[in-house]
Formats: sequence, C-alpha cells, structure tokens
Amino acid sequence: MRLAFVVLLLAVGLAFSLSGAVGVLRMPDVYTRAQCATKTVTLGTLSVLVALVVGEGPVSNYGGRALIVAVLILVMSPAASHALLRAAYRTGVPMWRGSVVDEPRRMREEQESGR
Amino acid sequence: MSAFWLLDFVLLALLVASAGVVVWLRNLNGAVMALSAVGVLLTVLFVALGAPDVAHSEVVVGAIALPVLYLVAIGKARTDVTDEEDLGERGEGRRVRR
Amino acid sequence: MTYAYLVAAVAEIAIAAVLVVRLALGPSISDRIVALNVVSTQAMLAVLLFAAYADRTVYLDVALWLASFSYLGTIVWSRYLERGLL
Repeated sequence: MRLAFVVLLLAVGLAFSLSGAVGVLRMPDVYTRAQCATKTVTLGTLSVLVALVVGEGPVSNYGGRALIVAVLILVMSPAASHALLRAAYRTGVPMWRGSVVDEPRRMREEQESGR
Repeated sequence: MSAFWLLDFVLLALLVASAGVVVWLRNLNGAVMALSAVGVLLTVLFVALGAPDVAHSEVVVGAIALPVLYLVAIGKARTDVTDEEDLGERGEGRRVRR
Repeated sequence: MTYAYLVAAVAEIAIAAVLVVRLALGPSISDRIVALNVVSTQAMLAVLLFAAYADRTVYLDVALWLASFSYLGTIVWSRYLERGLL
C-alpha cells in the first residue's frame, strides 16, 4: 500500500521533471524557459521529496533531510529565478518576437513622453 | 544487486558528453558553465561509487570555486592586444609595440 | 521499495541529459544558467534517492550541499551578469 503511494508520487515527480526539461529545451526565449524550469521542476522535486517522506517516515534520517531540502527549495528557487531574470532583462536579452507584454519598457516610454 | 551499475554508466556517458561540450563551445562563459556541470555530475558519480568525502570537496571546488576562479581570470585577461611577432597571434586587436 | 528509488535516480540523471543539450546550444548566458540550475537540482534528487537506496546516511549531506550551492551559484552568476564579479 505504501509502496503504491511511493511509486505513484515518484512517477508524478518524474513526469513533471520531464515536462520541465522538455520545456527548457523547446521554449523560444529565456523568460519562458525560466518559467518552465521554475514551476514544473519545483513541483517535480517536491513530489519526489514527498515520496521519500512517505516511504521512509517523516522523522527518519531520509525523510527529515528531504523536508529540510523541500523548505530550502521552496524559499530559494523563486528568489534565484527572480535575480537571474532581472539580470537577463537588464543585460538586454531579447524577448520572443511574439510576446506582447513588456511592462518596464512601457513605463519608461510613458515617463519619457510625459516630460 | 548489480543494478546500480546502470546509474554508474548513465553518469559516465553524461560526464563524457559534458566534457565534450566544454571543448566544443567557443564562448568562454558557456565553457565555464559546462565545466560547472561537469563538477556537479562528478559529485553524483563520486556518491554512486561510495566516496562521500570526495563528493563534499568536489561539490565545493568543482561546482563553485573553480568556475569563479576561471571567471576572475577571464575578466583579468586582456583581449584587446595581439602579439603578431613572437606568438603569431592574429586578430583585430591593437598590435604590440616595442 | 528501494529499487523504485534506484530507478527514479537513474531517470533523474537521464532527464539531466536533455538539459545538457540546452546547456550546449543555448544562445545566451542566461539560458545556460537556467539549464545548469535544473541540472544541479536533478543531481541533488539523484543523490538523495541513491542515499535512500543504499541506506547510507552519510550521503545525505552531499545532497544538502548540492541544493544550497546550486541556488547560490545561480545568484553569483546573475550578479556577474549584472555588474561584474569583483
């Protein structure tokens, strides 16, 4: 019974990780790639860690360390992704030609036209 | 029992592929980043071969310290001068006068 | 149950092979940083699952180092992109 839960959670995590990897490979520019990487890989990682917690128990060595790693990933993954994409935007990495929203450029243009 | 050699062989294939990427890339920052990927995969290989202490030093040195050292060295190196007489370098940089 | 852990570890490393392709041909530096971050996360998961398979608690520290250093490395690279390293 517990084995079935563990295998199910591992399969869900691997499927999400695979979809994130294919998204990183196939998406057209940096911003969409980072979106795929952050969201789907965070969910895939979390479900694999939950599989470890379910399989080994939350107070064992493996389950406890998996919980610590899960908290670390939940805190640091959005911060690292935000810093990376801000650096990418400031160094002028181009967007995909079909993208429609560019809020900082629109605000900059409004500010310049207001003067 | 011997099923874990599968992990060993997959890691070795990926490690050779990443090392080939290091040689194949012409962009210096990209090559440094592939070197960092080699360090990360080598960490997993050391864990799979049963050497966790070597894996500790490898994750600190190979994945962080060595790429940062290479980045500092690339930033310090001057690329706007070429020595066409002694070293035979060719490029669009300024020539060395003496 | 332990064989499920081993199969999952091998599958995570095989997924990292897809990301090494993006690391090889990403056009800008930021693409390579994204791919490297995901490779580090997958390697951390592989180490954690292999520790649960081999039943060695010594291997768990390596997973914690990998998890913390992958995001630290991403922040260092983005600082290098934005205003230089030193």
